[in-house]
This record gives sequence, C-alpha cells and structure tokens, in this order.
Amino acid sequence: MSYYFTILSPTDTPIFNIAFGTSKGGGDGIARFRFPDTAQYMNQFIIHSSLDIVEEAQWTNGGMYLKHVDTYPPAAAYISAFLTPSGARFLLLHQPPQLPNSNTGSLGSSSLLGPGGSTTRASSSSIAANPTSPQTEEAVRQFMNEIYESFVKTAMSPFYKQGMEIRSPVFRTKVTAAGKKWL
Amino acid sequence: MSILNLPLEFTGAPHNCGRHSPQNTFSSSHAQLSIMTVFSLIIINKAGGLIYQREFQPGLRKLSTNDYLVLAGTFHGVHAITRTITPRLPLQNTASPVVASPGTNAPTTSGYSYPNPGVPASGLEYLETEKFRLTCFQTLTGTKFLLFTDPMTGSVETVMNKIYELYADYVMKNPFYQLEMPVRCEAFDRHLAAWLRGRT
Amino acid sequence: MAAPRHSAMLSISNNVGTPQSTSSDKTQIAQPQSPAQTPGLRVPSNRKTIYDRHLNRSRNAELSRASFAYLFAEMVTYAQRRVTGIQDLEKRLNEQGYPLGLRLLDLLFYRATSTSSSALSSSSTSSSPPNRPLRILALLHLIHGPLWRLLFQRSADALEHSVSPDTPNEYMITDNDPLVNTYISVPREMSMLNCAAYIAGVIEGVCDGCGFEAKVSAHNQPTEMWPSRTVFLVRFGDTVMEREKVLERQGVK
Repeated sequence: MSYYFTILSPTDTPIFNIAFGTSKGGGDGIARFRFPDTAQYMNQFIIHSSLDIVEEAQWTNGGMYLKHVDTYPPAAAYISAFLTPSGARFLLLHQPPQLPNSNTGSLGSSSLLGPGGSTTRASSSSIAANPTSPQTEEAVRQFMNEIYESFVKTAMSPFYKQGMEIRSPVFRTKVTAAGKKWL
Repeated sequence: MSILNLPLEFTGAPHNCGRHSPQNTFSSSHAQLSIMTVFSLIIINKAGGLIYQREFQPGLRKLSTNDYLVLAGTFHGVHAITRTITPRLPLQNTASPVVASPGTNAPTTSGYSYPNPGVPASGLEYLETEKFRLTCFQTLTGTKFLLFTDPMTGSVETVMNKIYELYADYVMKNPFYQLEMPVRCEAFDRHLAAWLRGRT
Repeated sequence: MAAPRHSAMLSISNNVGTPQSTSSDKTQIAQPQSPAQTPGLRVPSNRKTIYDRHLNRSRNAELSRASFAYLFAEMVTYAQRRVTGIQDLEKRLNEQGYPLGLRLLDLLFYRATSTSSSALSSSSTSSSPPNRPLRILALLHLIHGPLWRLLFQRSADALEHSVSPDTPNEYMITDNDPLVNTYISVPREMSMLNCAAYIAGVIEGVCDGCGFEAKVSAHNQPTEMWPSRTVFLVRFGDTVMEREKVLERQGVK
C-alpha cells in the first residue's frame, strides 16, 4: 500500500505534502505508486479532483472525518478526507499494491518489486488488502486524529498564519511516525 | 482648610440613623455613623497637579476649580517640606573607616538616621481638626491620595487601601487614561461611589 | 555565540511545562533520521518542541486577570496609533481578534475530541466526536456556549434572532459584562467606541473558519444594572443564507 497525504488550506492551497508506504506486515515505509517517478503529479491531480466531492459532503456530514469519499478506478486510488473545523482539509490517497498478474504493462521498477509487494499484501490482511474495509477506515481515522493534534499545535503557533505552508521538519516527522503507527 | 463646612445636624441626620445599628442610644449610633463618613477625595499627581477631586457628602462648601488647584499645589509643597524637616538622629557609632575616607561627603549623610530606621521619610500623613481629618497616602510613584473624613472615623486605612485598589484597577488599567493627567474614568467614579455607598 | 543564548532562552520557555509526552514521540524526535536535522532548525536543548507539549496541559490553567487587563490596554493603545476615527479603531481591534478566533476553533474541537467529554455539549446532541456546525443555529450555540466558556469560563448571556423581517441574517449575542471592558472607561468624546470589537473579531474568525462568512460588530447597550452590557451583532453573508435555505430543505441539522 502506498500513501500520498496532503493538507489543503481553506483556499485550496496545498500547505503540506508527503508520500509514504505502509509499514505494516514487513513493509519498508517507502511509497511505490503505479505511476513512474516522473509522473508523481498524478497523485496531486487525483487528490485535487476529489475536492468537489469533499465540498459536497462537507455540508451534509457534520463529522470531521468524512471517511472514504472518492475513488479513481484507473489508478485504484482511494481518497479519504478529514476536515478541520477551521476549514483545512486533510486528504489521504491510498493505493493498494499492484496485483502481480496486472504487472505486465507497468514499469520495470515496480515489476522488480512484485514479489515484495505481494507478500506485503498477503501478510497485512486488514489494511492493505481492502482500502474500504472498516479496519482501514478506523486506521485512517486514528491516523487523521493524530495529524490533527499536530496540526492544531502548528496552528496555535503565533508565527503561523492560516494558509501558510507547514515547513516544520518536526511536523513532517510526526506525520511519518503516525503513518508508521497506523497505516 | 475651609473646604469642610460641616453642619452638625448632618452627622445626626435622621435618615442615617438606625440604618446600621440596632443600638438605640444616641451616642452609640453617633459613633456608628462617624465610622463611615468619608467627605471627599483628592488625588494629586507627582508634580503637584490636581488630577481628581470628588465629594461624597452633600452640604460641603464648594470651592472653585482654581482653588482646588491651588490647594493641591499648596499641599504638595507642604508635604515636601514636612518630608525634608523630618528630624534626623545622629548615629552613635560612626563607622570610622568609612568616615576616614576623604573626598566624599558620605560621613555627613551616613552620620544620621531617621527616628524609625529602615523607613524612609514620608512627610505629612495626618492632619486633624475639630471637624475633619485629612489622611494622606503616597504611592510608590509619588501620587498622593488625600482623604477627608470625620475625625472619629476608625478605619481610614481600609478605605484608603480600597481607593488605591480601585485606582489601580479602573484608572491605571484603562487604555484611555494618560499618566499624570486628570482622571476621567467613569468606571472609577462608579465603583468608588458604589463601594462607599455599600459602606455607609 | 548564539547557541548558548538560544538554549537558555528555550529552557526558560520549557521548564514551565511538565514532561508528559509519550516516550514513543520522544524517541521519534531524538533520532537523527529523516529531515529533523535540517540545517537552520534549532531544537531546544531538552529536545522538546511545541509538538511535544500536550495541548490540554493549560486547559484548566488560570490566567491573571490583571496581566490580561494590562496587555489588553496596551493592545488598545497600540491600535489607537494613527487611526482616523472610531470606526477605524474598532476595525483594527477586530482584525486583532480575528486570527484568535480561527485558532480557538481548532483548539476547541481538539479538546472536545481528546477528552470525549461534553466540553462541546451545545444544545445539539453531540456524541463523543463533536460535529462541525453546518447550520447557523448550531454555530451560534457553539459560540454562545463552548467558545464563551473557553474564553471567559461562563456562557454568554443571551442569543437572539433579529425580529425585523428585513434582516433575517442578523443575530445578536449579548454579554452583560464583557471581560475585556471591565477596567475600561471610554472617554465621552468616543462614546460610540466599544473595545469589545476585539471579541467581535474573535467571533468573526470563528464564523469564517466554519465557513459562515459574517461581519460581527460590538455595540454598547448599557442598562441600569449592567453599565457595560454589549451586544455582538452577527450579520451573515448572502451566500450563507442561501446555503442555509438549501440545507433546510435537505433536512440537514
């Protein structure tokens, strides 16, 4: 499973980005998306295209965690969303590892990882295998809540203004740690 | 000191009688009353300028604003004089090595101490007449509070502390008050009046 | 030269808190892996950054009212510099409060989630994860109750809707004795001024943060008993009112 996590300000400016892979079931925590490394912008495309759906769901669901909101089938990308009360949006794109049989058309780098990916999928039954299962939702919720805590601490800083890019390496470390812990 | 033109019947005014004391004898009710009576308050800034003046009892003779300014300035001067004429007692044992050091006038100043060692000379604190007592309280920054009370009044200290507290709260914490300028703080007036009313 | 001074400075700011972050967090920070070693990043000598301090630590802490009064007096004095008039001054105070509102909103919800108690229990049925306000009334209850309690340890005194049919977008929140105005006496020539414009700014920040575009102003409405009674007039924008109608049709609460 590979993840792409982004935080958008209320005015749709990306203020934080990070890509990481699963650490469950022997995963090494490195993101391996189905796009070549030169096409990482696809993640951003997919995430931003889900914003419309998020904004629709925003006014019917009063919760902060909106669960899985959007899927982009061609890339098997699933989007989960979390809304802070002050209008920032946490979006998590998760992409299950590619199945070995569909590996034919993909690039060399990911086909090399084929065996590793399949073992990961097999051993981490709950989260990686099914992106829409309740276990996954719960894990993502825990992840989001942990990020939210760090985000509030960032927002409370007198040197931080709403909409500013979050540059703190400590924040990044915190997100990585939360990813390792829950995803 | 002719501000206080106090008609005698005022202190014995019937509407004040019996409000507080269950005692019925004339003398005790009179004492009860006089505990509370605060006539007027004057605040003088550190340069001797009048910054606040207020009466709390009806029937006091009014002075013109100019007279109040003169009064404040005069008191300020008198206060300064009383402070400088504080008697100084010569020290018994003059520390000889210090005295021996030439070229300084330290010996002359350190050769004396005030009657109450450790307490700096404060100047006039009370002024008492038949009809009233004036209590002066000076803050660390040199602002002086003059309180005119009935001579029988007991707890001037309490009243003064409370007035100082109200001043610190409603004057000094007011962003629209300019230091050393006349006090025009409606909240100060209101709380002062309310507190004194609560006591009397 | 700068390093010791810096560490001394930070130790002052840090020895106030009690060490209570979880051990796992600490090891994460301490490890020199990942971008934590960015040049230019200065970490306190005890390696505890603001991310290691618990947000609920100061939850029940009390502040000195006098310190706040002096601070606020200086804020008003600062805002008063080179203003063109009372409206300008109120606008500046409002702008000072606005970012605070945005921040408080996040903090308020964080504290409500982390304790899962009824810190946010407004009139709506809030279960353990609190809901973002979707409708105007829910938002106003949030301000009237939890926000006011967070700021002043009590609820606001009244919440009213404009009775005039021309202004259905106007709501009023009343505070009988606003904390910020406790020690302030406004000079007679500025009698229109109400320094609670700062609080109005906080409310505006909260409304805007929740996605309810609004203009909030503070007005004096003294009564015999409450000489500094203040009414906060909340005027929602047209887009908010339109959305409100749509949501009402959809039955969203």
